[in-house]
Amino acid sequence: MKFLKLFLVVFLVMLPISAFGKKAKTIEELAAMYDSSSCKECHAEIYGQWEKSHHARSLMGVLGGLFMTPLAMKGKTPFSPDSPDKATLDTFPCFKCHLPQAVTSADDAFAVDYAKALLKQDKARLGKLSITCIVCHNTKAIIHKKSEGHPEANVLYGSKDVAKHEDAKFKTVKKSSIMDHAIMCGQCHGMGPNLEFENPVQCATLYGSYQHNYLSKGGQKSCQECHMKKVDGVADHLLAPNWNDLEATKKILQEAISLDVDMVGYDWLLKSKDHKPMVVVNTRINQNAGHRIPDG
Amino acid sequence: MVLEVTAKTADGKEVYNKERHYHPQATDCRSNKMLYGAQFKTQYIRDTSLQPLETKAESFEIMLPDGVRTVDVTVSLRYEIWKPDHKIEITSISKMVSLDR
Ligand code: HEC
Ligand code: HEC
Ligand code: HEC
Ligand code: HEC
Ligand code: HEC
Repeated sequence: MKFLKLFLVVFLVMLPISAFGKKAKTIEELAAMYDSSSCKECHAEIYGQWEKSHHARSLMGVLGGLFMTPLAMKGKTPFSPDSPDKATLDTFPCFKCHLPQAVTSADDAFAVDYAKALLKQDKARLGKLSITCIVCHNTKAIIHKKSEGHPEANVLYGSKDVAKHEDAKFKTVKKSSIMDHAIMCGQCHGMGPNLEFENPVQCATLYGSYQHNYLSKGGQKSCQECHMKKVDGVADHLLAPNWNDLEATKKILQEAISLDVDMVGYDWLLKSKDHKPMVVVNTRINQNAGHRIPDG
Repeated sequence: MVLEVTAKTADGKEVYNKERHYHPQATDCRSNKMLYGAQFKTQYIRDTSLQPLETKAESFEIMLPDGVRTVDVTVSLRYEIWKPDHKIEITSISKMVSLDR
């Protein structure tokens, strides 16, 4: 019996968050499981940057639009259920990237609660769900699950080991193999159509563009090198562009994209004695991102 | 992303307006209608977006109407984010071009 208990304890400690305890059945339960507010105390700078980022509002990134609403409405999309009561996790293939913790840690009851909240446009409740610190630093931090195991419940993964991490829940930080690699972002930033669903879904394809059309031309920077440059000593978690901040985004776009224009006016001799007054405008646009602009 | 070229006469009359739209374009493969929405998009059918480490070059030939020998040409580049009014003008270049010397 004692042995069994010990075995159970060891077994539980090694379980990933996803399998830890029960699956979330409501928005509040899932939000609580991935609540990152404890990080604020010690990582205030990063937390402040993240709060303004698209990752912190991954269900309504641009001007608060709840873009999954049609999926909850009968007949509006191939995925829509007849009524919100019939919603399942399969109703929302978007969770794969917009809310991966729903895939690993929620069940169909959550999908029903979520569908109802969408129909009510309940932004206060839905706003509790996002790509929190824990999603990137735990759920999405290991992709070699056969080689390295699933993310453990009380461990965070970062760019280095921290044997004693002071957080109340996450007592250690382990080095992730991918934290500084493009594939960390590529997990969600898309390669093309997602064909594992019963109908195809295609949203972000930017990682495909990076892989096949940036590396192929000799580009070698990672997403992090361009998007997470150190600000006041920490890796910038705003991950701009922030499309709700037009002024800051204008600056980024102006730095990234250049337009060069030449013009000439002359009388073009189309055929003998037939001069056509013509102006020619030649434009050349260059951009210095690591992928197509725009994507998707 | 939209590149817009306009030419106007001295009195403000528009004699030319062309746009080039730069973005990937998708269908659901069940019709040839271009679609928005991740829940429908299945495959790109065309991609005119700005590619990395590449120059996007265009040439616009503006035939002027009879009697017009001088025009004000404006080339502007804007990023349309979502709704048509949620957009950013990246740059705008204007120049007076005359055929007479
Ligand atoms: C009580 C303070 C405290 C709290 C709370 C805390 N951290 Fe930390 N964390 C630290 C300190 C201090 C370090 C740096 C340790 C070092 O550099 O040796 C650290 C390091 C890290 C690292 C590794 C840094 C790297 O280079 O990769 C990550 C990732 C991290 N914390 C994430 C989090 C997240 C996510 C939360 C919330 C769930 C959190 N921390 C909560 C104090 C805290
Ligand atoms: C392969 C991962 C992935 C899947 C699956 C996915 N998205 Fe996205 N989506 C992203 C990423 C990453 C972005 C942000 C980057 C960008 O816009 O290029 C995004 C951006 C968006 C945007 C624009 C931002 C905003 O808040 O308005 C909308 C709308 C959107 N997705 C809707 C959906 C819907 C609806 C589904 C499901 C039918 C879905 N996505 C499935 C990854 C995905
Ligand atoms: C768990 C999935 C996920 C991961 C991992 C992820 N992203 Fe995102 N990212 C998203 C989603 C979803 C959005 C859009 C949310 C919205 O606006 O609705 C987004 C938005 C963005 C944006 C804002 C621009 C835009 O068009 O929305 C940038 C920039 C970005 N991500 C870069 C990165 C980089 C760089 C990494 C890697 C360090 C990364 N992301 C990792 C899912 C992810
Ligand atoms: C979209 C994924 C994503 C989210 C969300 C995210 N991080 Fe990170 N974080 C990263 C990546 C990737 C790095 C490594 C950056 C690098 O290598 O340059 C990182 C680095 C860090 C570091 C090390 C800082 C440094 O300067 O090297 C800390 C600490 C950290 N994150 C804490 C947090 C906290 C706290 C939150 C929530 C407020 C958070 N992260 C949310 C992806 C994320
Ligand atoms: C060489 C630098 C560089 C690299 C590498 C890079 N980016 Fe970008 N990225 C930029 C710049 C500059 C912009 C701003 C242009 C814009 O807003 O579209 C941008 C824009 C974006 C956007 C908004 C896209 C849109 O549709 O307008 C997303 C999302 C993004 N990057 C994610 C990533 C991810 C994920 C990676 C790695 C797979 C990555 N970036 C690699 C420089 C880079």
